[in-house]
Amino acid sequence: MTGKWQLKDHEAERELFSRRLAVAAIFVVLLFAALIMKLVNLQVAQYDYFSARSDGNRLHSQYVPPARGLIFDGRGQLLADNQPIFNLTIVQEQVENLDETLAYLSTLIGLTEDDIEQFNNRMRRNRVPFSSVPLRYVLNDAEKSKIAVNSHKLPGIAIEPQFVRQYPLSELTAHSVGYVSEINRDELESLSDTERENYGGTNHIGKTGIERTYEDLLHGTVGYEIVEKNNRGQVMRYLDRTDPVAGKNITLYLDGELQIAAEKALGDFRGAVVAIDPATGGVLAMVSKPGFDPNLFVTGISNKNYNVLVTDNVNTPLFDRTTNPYPPGSTIKPFLGLGGLHYGLVDYEFAIEDPGYFRLPGVSYRWGDYTLRTAIGGGHGHTDLQKAIFQSCDTFFYDLGSRMGIDSMHDFMSLFGFGQNFTVDINYARTGVLPSREWKRETRGEPWYPGDTVNSSIGQGYMWATPLQLATAVSIVANKGKVVQPRMLKAVEGVPYQPVIEDPIADVVVNDPDYWRYIEEAMTMVVHRPYSDEFRGYGTAFEAIAMADREMPYKMAGKSGSAQVVGISQEILQSKDIMVSDLNKDHGLFISFAPADNPHIAPKIAIAVFVENGEHGSSVAGPIAKSVIDTYLLNILQIDFAALEAGGGSLVSVLDE
Amino acid sequence: MNSQDFIRQSDGLGSRAGNRKSIWRTIHTDPPLLVGIILLCCFGLLVLYSASGKDQPLVQRQAITMFVGLVVMFIVAQFNVHFFRQWAPSMYAAGIGLLLLVLLIGVESNGAKSWLDLPGLPSFQPSELMKFVVPMLMAWYLASRPLPPRFKHLFWSAIMILVPAGLIIIQNDTGTAIMVIMSGIFVVLLAGIRWRVVIAGFISLLLVSPAWYIFLAQDHQKNRILTFFNPYRDPTGAGYNIIQSQIAIGSGGIYGKGWGEGAQSHLDFIPESNTDFILAVLAEEFGLLGVLFLICIYLFVLVRGCFIAIAANDTFSRLLAGSITLTFFFYVFVNMAMVSGLLPVIGLPLPLISRGGTSVVTLFIGFGLLMSIKTHGRSKLS
Repeated sequence: MTGKWQLKDHEAERELFSRRLAVAAIFVVLLFAALIMKLVNLQVAQYDYFSARSDGNRLHSQYVPPARGLIFDGRGQLLADNQPIFNLTIVQEQVENLDETLAYLSTLIGLTEDDIEQFNNRMRRNRVPFSSVPLRYVLNDAEKSKIAVNSHKLPGIAIEPQFVRQYPLSELTAHSVGYVSEINRDELESLSDTERENYGGTNHIGKTGIERTYEDLLHGTVGYEIVEKNNRGQVMRYLDRTDPVAGKNITLYLDGELQIAAEKALGDFRGAVVAIDPATGGVLAMVSKPGFDPNLFVTGISNKNYNVLVTDNVNTPLFDRTTNPYPPGSTIKPFLGLGGLHYGLVDYEFAIEDPGYFRLPGVSYRWGDYTLRTAIGGGHGHTDLQKAIFQSCDTFFYDLGSRMGIDSMHDFMSLFGFGQNFTVDINYARTGVLPSREWKRETRGEPWYPGDTVNSSIGQGYMWATPLQLATAVSIVANKGKVVQPRMLKAVEGVPYQPVIEDPIADVVVNDPDYWRYIEEAMTMVVHRPYSDEFRGYGTAFEAIAMADREMPYKMAGKSGSAQVVGISQEILQSKDIMVSDLNKDHGLFISFAPADNPHIAPKIAIAVFVENGEHGSSVAGPIAKSVIDTYLLNILQIDFAALEAGGGSLVSVLDE
Repeated sequence: MNSQDFIRQSDGLGSRAGNRKSIWRTIHTDPPLLVGIILLCCFGLLVLYSASGKDQPLVQRQAITMFVGLVVMFIVAQFNVHFFRQWAPSMYAAGIGLLLLVLLIGVESNGAKSWLDLPGLPSFQPSELMKFVVPMLMAWYLASRPLPPRFKHLFWSAIMILVPAGLIIIQNDTGTAIMVIMSGIFVVLLAGIRWRVVIAGFISLLLVSPAWYIFLAQDHQKNRILTFFNPYRDPTGAGYNIIQSQIAIGSGGIYGKGWGEGAQSHLDFIPESNTDFILAVLAEEFGLLGVLFLICIYLFVLVRGCFIAIAANDTFSRLLAGSITLTFFFYVFVNMAMVSGLLPVIGLPLPLISRGGTSVVTLFIGFGLLMSIKTHGRSKLS
């Protein structure tokens, strides 16, 4: 009975089980069908999308920075080179504990707090994930080997080679060539999107001088690499590469040798020398002394070094004296004299009887003659324009300026670039001040007084000009009125550079071209007119230049000047270790061009020398100008004046025949 | 079809030739099942070699584990399944004891405190054993009762399932707990539980799940569910695995990138590429065709398991074989669905393809039981 019941039950259970298993099988089939549909959706329908995602995962485009264009001087000497250095870099994503790693590195190669601070600054900039950030530039061999030996303890730390700027002339070209340094956030943000793309692989950008002006030429075009990276950002394979286009090599008019000569000529003085080739407008020398080592800035100057530079209130090495204005003093007299001739206020015969001072009609105040302050007294006596220039007679110019009036003075002086920037590519140069009625009303809110004109007549008062402007102005005189705008860039990749000047500066045209000869003669007398029986009949710079070098084979035209120190900062006045009396000394100036008064050869160099607290223009700045001109004419151009003299004669005779 | 013919043929042979047994019956092995398993193992080792970045020692270890599994399967198959039936309650009690022991002296690994390191034995997970001990006990319990089971029996069945499952959840091994529960539920379902009970249970589960989500679910569990609905809510964190896995599968296309050419896996974008997410590697390198091939082998094994269950002679064997087969399917499906984004992420490996130790051996014990059921059945009748 029991067994039968069991048997019957057994059959029913088997039936039941089979039905259930069949239902389960249906579910299995349905679920697998759903799974296959999902897989078909992923692998067939969405294949393109996921395929692209997969490539996006592994393929990365990375920048290949272009080599920066080199900068050569006019004769092929390197002014800015690219040197390989080795940097310590960090990929943050690969470092487990950044603080510990930095601490370990500090013990290993002695990172300074400065290094770490600068590194943190770099990290804060926009940064592509898994990109390496420099921690320390320029590792030496010992440091490199320490890092290499311990590399297993330093995941994410690498030594990467890089080419960076190197300036062989160091502080000699600190201001003119300028320097590159790390791009900062503001600079990055000021770039357009395409430009920013172009700086993707670059850490550096031109900050000052030529490096900044010609950044676009020098930088080049970034290249790209397609690399395969794994999940941790390591590069596994290089797949494709678009080579970067190197920046253009450029040639400047600057002459390294002349630059060295100018710096040397300045001696222990602070000051500036700007020399221009009048024929081309090319800037041959542009020295601001003291300079600084621009190489320090390339790899990130330390705060300590930077503080040294910015806190030096006396030497102010970062201050570019060539492009910042000072009172030009008597150096404006030749231009003003030319203006007097042009406007018919004086002629070759006109002369004054100089009592040593000047009085405006109806004004009791006497404008004394600065050039005679230390002399025995009395005036220059009978003084015509040429004597007024070679003797630097203030009284003559007080009179001339007053009669010319500020409006004419402003108009005529502006033809020579005063108050303006005539340069083609030194756009950062300051324009100084060429005062006018409008200028005074706008800036001072005061009317123009006749006394202001008197002060302006000898380059004092409101008149300010940069050494670069003075050199420009004197080069126009050397060219007899032809304006060739000063420029730095001579050639790009060896091809002479012809700048497109949209708004060319008009030549200076005077009523009688002979005025140019007359002024040149007067300026030549400044240097070459010897002592004689004639009362005050010598040139102010004769003793320091022509008398000091009686063998001088050429003549130079010049004009000295001195300018009162306008203000000394409280910081300096209060500091104990500075001789304030020295800083109160006048600035000495000298403008010149050479060779002058030479029938065979046009002037080859126009120069402005500025000597801070040099006290005397003629005796201090003059010889500096002469020394630079000597170097250029005799050593660099190697002009044989004696042969020229002889050959010139024969040339004339040949022509005569 | 072939396998069915094979069974008929061998049965026929057996009856015609009297007591003459086939060699396979003598060694208690089911050739079709063995063929399916070995195919899976070979394919698994092939994929693992690529997924591990051509790590030969690792693949060798896996091969050794599989060989050990085969040996264990062979040993298990030698026992008459009714031996296990007799011992089911004792084994269950011992299993519960071991789970309690784990709670006391268990060793933690990968976030789950589920390992037992007893002296003289290799360390193992008692929870793994419950994957077949629980269905064994359930089959034992229900087979000796009239079927379909009454409510009273269902109640006790639930207790028998939930006690070990609860202990395993305390060990923080949800994946294994789910497998244990499912293996028990499969027995109950196959035993003929009434559909209205099943449906009622399913509906109540649906109703309870929001409450579970709000009150009981832990943050990481909630996270997994949220991520399932939108992997891109945290693409570099919780959603990373599933996003990368889908990228790997999708970019494989129909034909795949080729063996060893999977960019996603070789550049380490797929996490757990040797274990839970190995399907992504397979799908990337072998494409849709590769996955379909794998599904076909699984289906072959499943079909064979079902036939063993149907052909079994007694309710216990049927229930146990059916449960083992369906649990195996559940394993396969949950992993594949999880990796392809059809289910939330549950930490379950892909059977015989993923790298594994104890879990692989457990699978082989299941296959051993199936073989035992297939090859010992006749002796019970006589």
